[in-house]
Amino acid sequence: MKTDTGLESDIVTPQPPPPLLSVRNLRVSFHDEHGHCVPALKGISFDIPAGRTVALVGESGSGKSVTAMAITRLLPAHGCQIDAGSEILFAGRNLLTASRRELRQLRGADIAMVFQDPMTSLNPVYTVGEQIIETLMLHTRVGRKAAYQRAVALLKEVGLPTPDLKMSSYPHQLSGGQQQRVMIAMAIACEPKLLIADEPTTALDVTIQQQILQLLASLQKKHGMAVLFISHDLELVGQFADEVVVMHHGTIREHAPVRQIFEAPQDVYTKALLCCRPHLSRRPARLPVIKDFLGEASYCEPPQRQRGYLPDDEVILEVQNLSVEYHSRHGWFGKKHCCQAVQDVSFKLMRGRTLGIVGESGSGKTTLGMTLMRLQAASAGRVLFAGHDMLAMSPRQLGDYKRRIQIVFQNPYASLNPRFSVAQILTEPMLLHGIGRDRAERLQLAGNWLERVGLSHQALGKYPHEFSGGQRQRIAIARCLTMHPDILICDESVSALDVSVQAQVLNLLQELQDELGLSYLFISHDLAVVKHLSDQVLVMQHGRCVEQGDADTLYAKPQHPYTRQLLEAIPQSWPHNFKPQVA
Amino acid sequence: MPSSNPLPLTVAPPSHNSLARQGWRRLRRDRIGFGSLCIVALYLLLAMAAWSGLLARHWQDEVAKPFAPPTLFANLGPQHVELNAADIDAANQRRRAAAGSDSSAATGLDASEDPLAADMAAAQQQAAQYHSEEAPKADTLPLGADQRGRDIRQKVLQGTATSLLVGLSGALLALTIGTVLGALSGYFGGLLDDLLMWGYSVFTSVPDMLLLLAFAAVSGRGIGTVVVVMALTSWTGSYRLMRAEFLKHKSREYVRAADAIGASHGRRMFHHILPNVSHLLLVQFSMLTVALIKYEAILSFLGFGVGITQVSLGAMLAEAPAELLQGYWWQMLTVTVVMSVLVTAFSLLTDSLRDALDPKVK
Amino acid sequence: MLAFIIRRVAQMVPTLFGVMLLLFVLFNWVGGDPSYILAGKNLSPEALANIRHQLGLDLSLPQQFVIFVKQVLTLDFGTSWSTQQPVTSILHSRIGPSLLLTGSILLLGTVLAVVIAALVAYLRGSLTDRLVTLISTCAMSVSGLVYIIAGQYWLAHKAGLFPIMGWSDRIAENLLYYLPLPLLLGVVVGLAPDIRFYRSCFVEEMNHDYVRTARAKGLSEPVIMLKHVLRNAMIPVVTSLMMSLPYLMMGAMLLETFFSIPGMGKEVVMAVDRSDFPVIKAITIYIALATMLFNLLADIVYKLIDPRVELS
Repeated sequence: MKTDTGLESDIVTPQPPPPLLSVRNLRVSFHDEHGHCVPALKGISFDIPAGRTVALVGESGSGKSVTAMAITRLLPAHGCQIDAGSEILFAGRNLLTASRRELRQLRGADIAMVFQDPMTSLNPVYTVGEQIIETLMLHTRVGRKAAYQRAVALLKEVGLPTPDLKMSSYPHQLSGGQQQRVMIAMAIACEPKLLIADEPTTALDVTIQQQILQLLASLQKKHGMAVLFISHDLELVGQFADEVVVMHHGTIREHAPVRQIFEAPQDVYTKALLCCRPHLSRRPARLPVIKDFLGEASYCEPPQRQRGYLPDDEVILEVQNLSVEYHSRHGWFGKKHCCQAVQDVSFKLMRGRTLGIVGESGSGKTTLGMTLMRLQAASAGRVLFAGHDMLAMSPRQLGDYKRRIQIVFQNPYASLNPRFSVAQILTEPMLLHGIGRDRAERLQLAGNWLERVGLSHQALGKYPHEFSGGQRQRIAIARCLTMHPDILICDESVSALDVSVQAQVLNLLQELQDELGLSYLFISHDLAVVKHLSDQVLVMQHGRCVEQGDADTLYAKPQHPYTRQLLEAIPQSWPHNFKPQVA
Repeated sequence: MPSSNPLPLTVAPPSHNSLARQGWRRLRRDRIGFGSLCIVALYLLLAMAAWSGLLARHWQDEVAKPFAPPTLFANLGPQHVELNAADIDAANQRRRAAAGSDSSAATGLDASEDPLAADMAAAQQQAAQYHSEEAPKADTLPLGADQRGRDIRQKVLQGTATSLLVGLSGALLALTIGTVLGALSGYFGGLLDDLLMWGYSVFTSVPDMLLLLAFAAVSGRGIGTVVVVMALTSWTGSYRLMRAEFLKHKSREYVRAADAIGASHGRRMFHHILPNVSHLLLVQFSMLTVALIKYEAILSFLGFGVGITQVSLGAMLAEAPAELLQGYWWQMLTVTVVMSVLVTAFSLLTDSLRDALDPKVK
Repeated sequence: MLAFIIRRVAQMVPTLFGVMLLLFVLFNWVGGDPSYILAGKNLSPEALANIRHQLGLDLSLPQQFVIFVKQVLTLDFGTSWSTQQPVTSILHSRIGPSLLLTGSILLLGTVLAVVIAALVAYLRGSLTDRLVTLISTCAMSVSGLVYIIAGQYWLAHKAGLFPIMGWSDRIAENLLYYLPLPLLLGVVVGLAPDIRFYRSCFVEEMNHDYVRTARAKGLSEPVIMLKHVLRNAMIPVVTSLMMSLPYLMMGAMLLETFFSIPGMGKEVVMAVDRSDFPVIKAITIYIALATMLFNLLADIVYKLIDPRVELS
């Protein structure tokens, strides 16, 4: 090591300080109801240096949450087994062999946790202040009054307005973002050395996500604590992590400093994760999926796809001044509540094109989709489908039009009847609309559609719970296709899916549009996905349409401040991201 | 259109993995649950045999001496000699035999003082013309006899069958009423819901037993009446459950999807939603049966349940306090054991059903 | 809060009307002509016609209903058909013993059940838990009748520890002498189902996320149980307790019958036995009113102890 004078010294190079947390060969398995052993973690090892942020990234089932729970020994006592050869060393002590008393002293004081859903993680019957004071009085020797003052200071530090008033609020009286701030305040109350945040922003809106992340980053710098940040979103963690650990099916695929992960990833899975997500800056004709990276040849990106309405497009759906109101009433003599979900929205959808509808929760975008399907009653406006006003038709007249506009819902676990076999699910619409002469022909058609969406026709005899989320979404798409619709409404259809699966489903939707000439209404809160798929985009806020226009133009030059706010909230960490070669 | 060369004709391969099948497999693995199921099935078989008359047809026959003790525990009955009708008859017989045909001597009166002497002589002459076969009355029976000498085995078999019949049919009727009304209420809402909720609040503002007694006060006794009365007072639990379930499922996405593909209201309610709540119905049926068996026991005990010529577990228990006072414990013990085993098995089955059929869809 | 109460009281009116309608249909329509019951041995047509006139049965059904409604509103139900006493005064003398009996059973039973259930829930999954659950299930299956019959026989008749039956005018004597055995039996009968119910309330609370947060904060298991879980679990426990208050007035029907306690429950059984319709109607109306009021009270208490519920 060179000293300032430039002379080499024969002082022994000092070792880097020992890591704060060291996970060695962690193996965890669960017992399912049949008694089989299902491995969740297959021997992972990584270190967390003191004062640094390490991000643990993986899709669902990768074992990232299990790792976090294993560190704090919060895994369930029954049905869970940690291998004897595993070690978790915290400041020299092995947490896996520590006594319960030692663990209790560590938890909250040295290692603190922030969970994903703040609404259920806070005790609903105690005030926010009471819960913070409890932590303080447990681990530090302060009296009640001092704890109260400290709690107020903490609430102020995490950015809650009027902290004294908030002290006596109950959790349900705060918004999601505020609740998460309270959780963070509780976690840093005793100045922990390590903060474990398990998907802290997943349940929050995009704009709130950014705020919470910035709060965590500033707190980390200020208190000098180490942070283990768990997420499924690689782009998100790129903004403030120092090191990234990529996990897949219980193993670590890659562990490197953040710059290297983004600019020169070594592992194919990491490359796939980086590329599978739609980007704002480019729009390949087909999104890459993990399979593309696992092959021998290196992946080449297909050429960019152009989007936008063309002048000679035919209008297939025209919505004019649509408004939807909700009424609710409490009991027999209660007050009536009126809520304006959608106000005066108008747009046009061209045949064979995609209109994207973007907004946060409460913007009315889902209500809009429901109303177009006549699943929800409109209070004003017209919906012209091939020239005819759908809202004015009686249910009998509506018959044929109902078939021609179909919807794919968000939750793949709830949109298929769990008691029906796939054959029943797919043949029912054909039965109701008189497609197919008899049962045998209907089964034949159902099998064909299954093959078309990428599943084997063996799936006909199975039940929904035997499939993964992405597969269920394909079955839902196949169900819509059996009726030969003209318009498909995708209501957050890919939001609940992992990144790689999402790419597959988006590719499928694009192929179907190219082949069958379907028109899509794509509703989502994810701006990058919307930009990838849409020709035109409509931005909604509080039930109103605040901006509408060509996708490329809107994203490049947003006019409305809300649109700008949404675009700024998208994680854009590294300008020199790894990109696949262009064909 | 899908690819031009059609695949060979597909027939949906049968699946052995539906949620119902999984539930059944889980129940089989649960030893307590499966054991309870077997016990309940056994009871049902015996009950069906009794209803159809294969067993216990002649439960009313007085085949033993009154209060004959059980064979194995003959020594545990009351030890002191009790004079019962049979003994008095026997003593009278001996006195008559000793006195010859002079009936007055049997009473200890002089023939001239006995006002009934002439009538008795005539009656005896008439009776001598007839000969009645009387099977000798048994001294002990395997489970003992009741006050009238009826075999407890047959009685308890018939009684259990009656109680089970009342419990099962009452539960079925109550469940049907509650489910239909609850489904309509939860699914359609609006004015229909308001009306049915009003009915529900009326029926639940009176406690169960009181309502039961009020109904019993105006109806007669008998199995049919008891079934109807119990069904009319117990439908509220199922109503509330089904209403909440249909309300919840109505806004679930798979029902919305069914609406989107064009399914009618009826199809959505009974083809889509009902199979998804059927496991709750099964558990509810089990619970109701247990409750109604217990209620029937209380009703019959108080004298408002099954008719005098019919027997049920409650009616048998009604004889218990008086018997106990005299020291005869066998009828009460038999009824208690039989009824407790049945209700325990049913309760454990209910718990296991609930655990096995809970569809934790991932 | 006041608006809420007023609204709920307004909701009671249609329900009360429904109860009156139900009773009317049962007793004046389905129940048939009671004049034969009252006539006793004197079945001459004039006597029957006289009775019918007295009871107002010669009027049309709607007119009879109006009379019934008037009776309910003035809480004057006429005289008992069997004892010829005014119904209202009969009932007022019966409420006291019923309240004393069921009140003490409720109090003692709930305290015992909650304590045992909390302990068992804390130890959930262990042998103790499974054993207690199994014993409770078996204990529940034995009919209440058996407990009472056996209890009365062995503890009172054979062992002579308690009086077999009876009641007195003095509260002290009741509390010390006549109450203990029915109280004991009532608690025993109700203990098993209560333990199972409360245990399930506790276990359900223990599976919530905030328990995981409390553990992550470093709290010990007993503190988590007593401070966090109990407070939340009390909500369904108290609510269920409030919902069973209306049964206080009903009295424990079986216990009163067996032990000759002059309460509402015994009165109902006797009235049904003698087809004494005015008494049955009156008791039902009283109990229905009490149920509605107690449900309102339960809702108010629920709103007070659960901060998530908004007073709307």
